[in-house]
Amino acid sequence: MATPISQAAPSYEARTRPSHVVGWIALAAVALIALPLVLPSYQVSITTQILIFSVLAMSIDVLAGYGGRTTLGHGAIFGASTYVVIYWTAVLGGGIWTGVALGILCATLLAAVFALLAIRTSGVYFLLLTLALGMIVWGLCLRWTSVTGGENGLRGIGRPEFIADHISFYYAVLLVVAPVTWAMWRFVHSPFGLTLRGIRDSESRMRSLGYNVPLHLFIAFVASGFFAGIAGALYALFNNFVSPSTVQLSQSVAALLMAITGGVGTLLGSFVGATLIIALENVVSAFTARWPTVLGVTFVLIMIFAPEGVVGRVRILLSRRRKRQSSESLN
Amino acid sequence: MTKSILQLDHVGVRFDALRAVDDVSLDVRRGERRAIIGPNGAGKTTLFNAITGVVPPSSGRVVFEGRNITHAPPHRRADWGISRTFQITNLFPSLTVRQNMELAIRGLTPRKFSFFGSPAATDEERAQADSALTLSRLAARADSAVNELSYGEQRQLEIAMALAPNPRLLLLDEPAAGLSPAERVIVANIIRALPKDITIVLIEHDMDLVLSLVDWVTCLNNGQFLAEGTPADIRNNADIQNVYLGKARHHA
Amino acid sequence: MDRRQFLKTTALTLATGAGTLAAPHIVRAQAAPIRIGLMAPQTGVVAAGGREIIDGFTLFWENARNRVGDRSVELIVEDDASNPDTALQKARRLVEQAKVDFLFGNLLANTGLAVANYVKGNGTPYFIPVIAADDLTQRSRIKNVIRAGGYSASQFSRPLADWALKQGYKKIATISQDYTFGHEQCGGFAQTFTEGGGTIVGQFWHPLNTSDFSPYLGQISGLKPDAVFAMETGADSSRLIQQYASFGLKGQIPMLGAQNATDQSVIRTLGPECEGIVTSAHFAEGADLPATQAFVKTYSGKFSKIPSLYAFSHYVGAMWVAKAINGIGGKVEDRNLFLDTVLKTDLPDSPLGKPVRFDDYGNPIYDVFIRKVVKNKDGKFWNLPIETYPQVSQFWKYDPETYLKQPPYSRDFQGIKKA
Repeated sequence: MATPISQAAPSYEARTRPSHVVGWIALAAVALIALPLVLPSYQVSITTQILIFSVLAMSIDVLAGYGGRTTLGHGAIFGASTYVVIYWTAVLGGGIWTGVALGILCATLLAAVFALLAIRTSGVYFLLLTLALGMIVWGLCLRWTSVTGGENGLRGIGRPEFIADHISFYYAVLLVVAPVTWAMWRFVHSPFGLTLRGIRDSESRMRSLGYNVPLHLFIAFVASGFFAGIAGALYALFNNFVSPSTVQLSQSVAALLMAITGGVGTLLGSFVGATLIIALENVVSAFTARWPTVLGVTFVLIMIFAPEGVVGRVRILLSRRRKRQSSESLN
Repeated sequence: MTKSILQLDHVGVRFDALRAVDDVSLDVRRGERRAIIGPNGAGKTTLFNAITGVVPPSSGRVVFEGRNITHAPPHRRADWGISRTFQITNLFPSLTVRQNMELAIRGLTPRKFSFFGSPAATDEERAQADSALTLSRLAARADSAVNELSYGEQRQLEIAMALAPNPRLLLLDEPAAGLSPAERVIVANIIRALPKDITIVLIEHDMDLVLSLVDWVTCLNNGQFLAEGTPADIRNNADIQNVYLGKARHHA
Repeated sequence: MDRRQFLKTTALTLATGAGTLAAPHIVRAQAAPIRIGLMAPQTGVVAAGGREIIDGFTLFWENARNRVGDRSVELIVEDDASNPDTALQKARRLVEQAKVDFLFGNLLANTGLAVANYVKGNGTPYFIPVIAADDLTQRSRIKNVIRAGGYSASQFSRPLADWALKQGYKKIATISQDYTFGHEQCGGFAQTFTEGGGTIVGQFWHPLNTSDFSPYLGQISGLKPDAVFAMETGADSSRLIQQYASFGLKGQIPMLGAQNATDQSVIRTLGPECEGIVTSAHFAEGADLPATQAFVKTYSGKFSKIPSLYAFSHYVGAMWVAKAINGIGGKVEDRNLFLDTVLKTDLPDSPLGKPVRFDDYGNPIYDVFIRKVVKNKDGKFWNLPIETYPQVSQFWKYDPETYLKQPPYSRDFQGIKKA
């Protein structure tokens, strides 16, 4: 996993010394692999949930942080995949892996439909349009009772034997999330990723340079939907249950908050954001019924003191320190 | 007609009742250095937008190298060899100079669709970027972030990015806008040194600067064609003195 | 920071993080208490009902001095946020981290169904005094999911339909919230009513949180039915009852309803417009039965309100399970013994006022009251029994095996017998 990151070094925002990056990645990998050995089983399943939602948050960051398009429709794309997996296995009695493939496919197709309708807008219009599209999916899941089970949702049939227990499922998820993260990292640091950042900064300039801006955004949206679909399929295996609350607006908002808390445009910040929000949710709700308030206040504080997100903030501090050091060494 | 690279044929651009550009016809020859002048609100930038496709003309035709491009989208026109700078600096502020150049070059190459490829520039891209940066006298700043550049350097980068894809027609929208006299000299020298095979159409307010750079001048007023001629003709044209030069001197 | 120090700091951070996650972890001591996990919505759309679940449930355990089967009881309450995904997460936490012996609670059907599907996989006993989804004790029966103190949705609307036929009603229209709970209650009513010779002249399904009922009320009055059956919960119920009165239908067309339509959680905020509505339930706060009145008095004294469905169901559920635990000397760890004992336990003296027992499917058989809303001597509205149907099971008068062959109730299948 070291290669793409050292290649990414020319990226200005992420200009960290490659050897450090390799060290960090190795440390994170060791920690993630060792985690089930030290954590009780419930915390393992929370960590599994964090990994799954990190993928969803990253898929949003691909659009929001790189393409400059903040979406509120990804919860619906994610949940569509969950619905398809559970419907395929529990209602139609199909195989789990076909179900996963179909779930991801449907999420990608749904993302293509969303993209066709939304990519020509930007800013608050894009936000509202994706929100509205997500609401349509939610409404459909709620009302199409004969297929979706309506309000009551659908119950899954459980995971295959070899990933049934928490620990093996955790490793299975890790085994999927690691290459998916790597792929997304390559994606945002590829020439195409640079194109997206160009679009984020100035669409008019991009057009005059010969870029078909809507086409690039369409591709980015579909790719992002594909990744969200992977997260949704994993969630189907994790949760073994799906209801309209999986596709509802608050799902999109939560995932967006994870991306923002971690740092929009940092990709890996999504892991920090997902960890913070899910851990906080779990810890605080054990002590008070007012936990949504605590979460809200925390989020407001982050927006005031670190609007660029946790990882974004750390990067700024690091680059300041580096500058100070280099100016000191000059003196 | 083979010498003609860009023709505007009775082009008009209307915004509701306002005729921003009204029945303007132009013929730019290949290799020509052409200035478009006129007071504020004369329709110069709108005319640029009509040529580059940002605002499609509501009437008339735009022909580039014999091809009718009146309704083609901007990115297609870029593909055919039209490049432009912006009056208000329009760069990618969060990226480095080099990344700005890479984006400028890849706009016309299939590499912009490399989804998982290395972001590093190829040797060819690097050479192309370096040559455009050298022409714009910005080579030394290649690794800086755009938001660390001085305003003058940002205007130079505007030109470098427009040059990078090797256009055949370069449209410069007030390249010296907002610059100090010393910086204007740098920009003027850059423009003067550009390869002769690039056709240049230039909007500029600074008459002394513009008249020293071009060999043909078109003057617009209130969206309409007013006069055209050599710089010397324009200096001595009474109409232009009235509507433009007089005013401009007052403002200055 | 050099590498060694960096590693040290990181290890410390990770350790603290893990410690924080594990914070509510409590070490089990000898003579361990029985640990009960209660899930109730404390936030979200039905938070008010969730509050009463906690009140009713804790009231029982306070009265029992937090002891049962010679062991102490430790109660862990979690907020399901009215959301099935959260409910599932909380159920996991209670079972896997807090190591509870059994689960109780939830209010919304989807939260209960999600948790039921989870405990299906690990065998944790789960008692659902409010979750009424028919199939949980019918076609999709899960052995360790038991409706202690609860009922299945279509169970009580059948005796009401029978009563309606006896009143001479021939034509009835139904109006209901458009979701499974509504489909099931209306289905029970429509099937019994039409099999007894009545006609369902129209069925109206409206979305949850409907603010304006006038389009439906207009159509209902156009049909000129002998009575209306209303299946509503919460604020929808309050609004329907108010608008029914303000459009002048009250007094013209009698209103019958599902028990939740005139539950205390609804009518305690209403005035005379709710008077006279007839519903059916296993509990009537106005019943002149000593156990019922004692409970209503205690509860009202403590919480300054007459208990609702959420409160009394959880009180009864707790009482029922506690009696079973006493019967096995506190050995809840033996799950099979525990579950079998619960199913065999009869409850003669609960606030319901009548003896109750389970059928073979984990659903109770109740004496069902036909209740009318009247004003009591304190000037408050409550449900007064006007007739009793003894021993009503979820299968009414059908043979369970035959009954289970018909599809579950839905918008499209209401069991209506064609005349």
